[in-house]
Order: sequence, then C-alpha cells, then structure tokens
Amino acid sequence: MLTVAPPDAVELRANATFEALMWSLSRPGDVRTLPEAGFGAIVETLVDLECAAYADTPEMRARIVASGAMLAEKVSAADHVFLSELDSADIAELNCGSALYPDDGATLVLACAHQGQRLRLTGPGINGSKDVTLAVSPGFWAMRDMLCIYPEGFDIFFVDGTSVIGIPRSTKVEVL
Amino acid sequence: MSLATLTKDWAATSYGFLDASAKRELRRKMLKAIAVPGCQMPYASREVPMARGWGTGGLQVTLTLVNPTSVVKVIDQGADDGVNAASIRRFISRVSGASETWDTLGASIVQSRHRIPEEMMREDQILVLQVPNPEPLRGVEPNISIARQMHADADYGKLWLTLYEQIVRKGRIMQGASYPSMVNGRHVMTPSPIPRWDVPKLNMARHLTFLSAGREKRLHAVPPYTRVEPLVFSDRPYLVEDHADLTCRRSGVQGFFMNELPQDGGGSVFEVSDSNLGIKALNKTEGAPTEIGETWYRNGEYSA
Repeated sequence: MLTVAPPDAVELRANATFEALMWSLSRPGDVRTLPEAGFGAIVETLVDLECAAYADTPEMRARIVASGAMLAEKVSAADHVFLSELDSADIAELNCGSALYPDDGATLVLACAHQGQRLRLTGPGINGSKDVTLAVSPGFWAMRDMLCIYPEGFDIFFVDGTSVIGIPRSTKVEVL
Repeated sequence: MSLATLTKDWAATSYGFLDASAKRELRRKMLKAIAVPGCQMPYASREVPMARGWGTGGLQVTLTLVNPTSVVKVIDQGADDGVNAASIRRFISRVSGASETWDTLGASIVQSRHRIPEEMMREDQILVLQVPNPEPLRGVEPNISIARQMHADADYGKLWLTLYEQIVRKGRIMQGASYPSMVNGRHVMTPSPIPRWDVPKLNMARHLTFLSAGREKRLHAVPPYTRVEPLVFSDRPYLVEDHADLTCRRSGVQGFFMNELPQDGGGSVFEVSDSNLGIKALNKTEGAPTEIGETWYRNGEYSA
C-alpha cells in the first residue's frame, strides 16, 4: 500500500541512473544501461548545491549551474568532473582526496567509446579478471597509476551513449 | 535561468520518504563507499520517523535504493516477524510501493540487523546491514580524530593486541559479534554485530553489501567479490560458533546458526535463527511446495 505520491519521472530516472552507476562501480568492467544517453541524468542523480562540479562544454556548464552546484573554474576544485574528451592536463589536476578523507576523491564522468584499447581489470567486484575495451590511451592509465595511491584516487564512469562502465580507484588496470 | 527552473511544485510527501537532496547525498557517499571497500564514509543522516539506533542508517540506504519494483525483506536477528523488522518493512512498503517478502530468494533488497540469511545471496541482490557502531577502533581509541588517522596509516596494531589479550586471559578469542575484519587488504571494518558464523559469508560474496550507521552518520560497503578476512593469528584459526551439531527443536534443521532458549531447571533447547529457513523446512516436511536455496553452510561446514 503506497501512502505517498507515486514516483514522478525525475525520481524514476534518478533511481534507475543510480542503480546503473552503483552496479557498474560494484562490478568494474560490466556494461550497465543508463535510462538516458549522456551526462544529463547523471548530474540530476548526483549533483546538487552541496557539490562543486567542472565541465568542459558550455551545455554541461549550464546544466551544472541549473542543478544549484557551484561551477568550478578548475578541475582541481571540483568533486564531480564531466569531460566530453580526455585531456591529460585535466586528469593531472583531479582531486584525489587524502589518506584521512578518501571520500574527497573526485568522480570523473567521461564520454568515451567502449571500444579500442583492450584492458584487463582485477580487484574488488571482479571474480578473477575481466577484459574490457575502452577508447583511452595507455598513457591515461599510467597517469592514473601515478595519481591514485589507494585509498586516495578518483573514480571513473565511462559513458558511451546509454552504456556506462565504472572503474573505481580500487581496480587494477593492465593495458594489454 | 528563472525561478521556475530552480523550484519544484509543492508536494506534501516525497517518494520513498527522503527528499531528493538527501538521496543525492546518500548516493554520492554510497558510490565512494563502493570505491573504497570497508572505508567509513561520513553522511548527513537525515531524520526518519524512527529513533536513531533502531536501524535508521539501514533504512536510509534502503529508501535511497528502493523503487516500486523492489522486493524488500527485513530481518531482525534472523527473524522476519520481530516488531522492529515488521515495522521497518511495512514503513518501506508504504512510502515506496515496494513489495514485502520473508523469502531471501525472492528479495531484491535485504535489510538486516545482526544476521546474514543462511541461503546464499545472488549477484543481483543487495544486503543492507544496520550498524550500531561502525568504528572497529572505538574500543581501543575513543578519540575519533586519532582513529581516523589510524585508518589512514593502516595502523591496526591495537586491534591485534586486543585479540591477543583475549587469548592470553581466556585461552581463546572472546570477540563474539562485530568481529574486526580486513577488507580488500587495506581497511579494517566492523561487519556490524553479526555472529562470527556470518563473517565468512561476506568474503568474495556474490552480492553487494552496504553497512550503514544512522546514529554515527557513517556508511561503508563491501562490493561483490571482495576479500573480507577476519583478523586472526596464523597459529589460531578463525573459529565460528559451535553450532554445527545443534538441531532446531521446531523445524528439525541441523547445521545452522541457532538461538539458545534456556529451560527451567537447566539445559537449553535450540531454534534456528534464520526464521524463514525454519519455516521453509517445516513447509517442506508437510509436503508444501517450497524452494530452499543453496546455503552457505552445508552440514554445518562453511562451503561456499
């Protein structure tokens, strides 16, 4: 028996988006489906006036401002970073939190085709190992290894249309 | 931008009780908790219509996850029909429209106080444990700032010392519930006050586990296929409770965690703690169609 108003479209979308993000991060390398293509639903699900977010396109910046979040001028000041393309200068600036506060590490949402370089993932959430393909250069993973000193680090969602792959900082990535 | 885009129409209630901003905060923290298994993440812990300490942490996680297609099971010390469990389950279903169940196999979300069901949980299931004290170091370091530094340094020597002192004083490890466990080889967590019997069920499990403490405003998580190793000395093996040979007086099942019922005039009888497993066993003996799932313990031995 439901005693409150039934969920509206926004609530259902946010719930489904979070479910996709949660399972993709729980099982790194698994492809999950977002209810809506692109970053819009992810902003709606995670970002609000308690956050500072960075984006590299004017549309996403407008979306972030509309969510009430503070628009970060620099990647280093943001806890949520939305990138339409990979720029190593941006990655080097990502906030990795601290050993005292690992939760300060940024969440990086990256538009990236789920094909190209073959990778082997191991770590929590993976039974043995899992192979994925992502259109990211090997240099990115070398940089991630340098920046993410577990438990410090950043967590990544690779979004390709409605598909999402999550790679948390706990995952070891081997470039094949 | 206009005011209309920044505001929403007034509504008397929010779906799932928690408002949208509370859910977003929990979602952000739940993702970080998954990313750093076993590490305690602070969160705001909103008011829910229940006193802190009665499962508000677990409830907030469940209310964030739940949608009208969810099937929710809530257990309290293994039982589905305890007042606390029944009230939480009814509350969740009333504010979300989710279905209620007692069956572990049929549930999509299992919220639990102090037990993990005996039937193995599947890949698509989520276990939400209610945690009274999320800080495994509290007993050895009451200052939370120093405890945080100790977690940052992976400085768990005092926990080992506690276990050592128990062996020296009593001849065995006396820690019954909340057995400190190393997650992913880095963070020691408390698995909530589940008995030692249940801790192996978290190691390389197929399901996702959230542990949330509403009063202490912290949550942590154990993703699937994550190492959870109870702290143990190499010459003192980890021992679960000695329940393998006990038989439930009502259902007749053997080799599961039991509740002890002391009798007048001495002696005890036992009843299986996972009450729904007992009910299923009873139904089976009466010939009703019942599916008992694969269990973590078989013939009293952990065998997953």
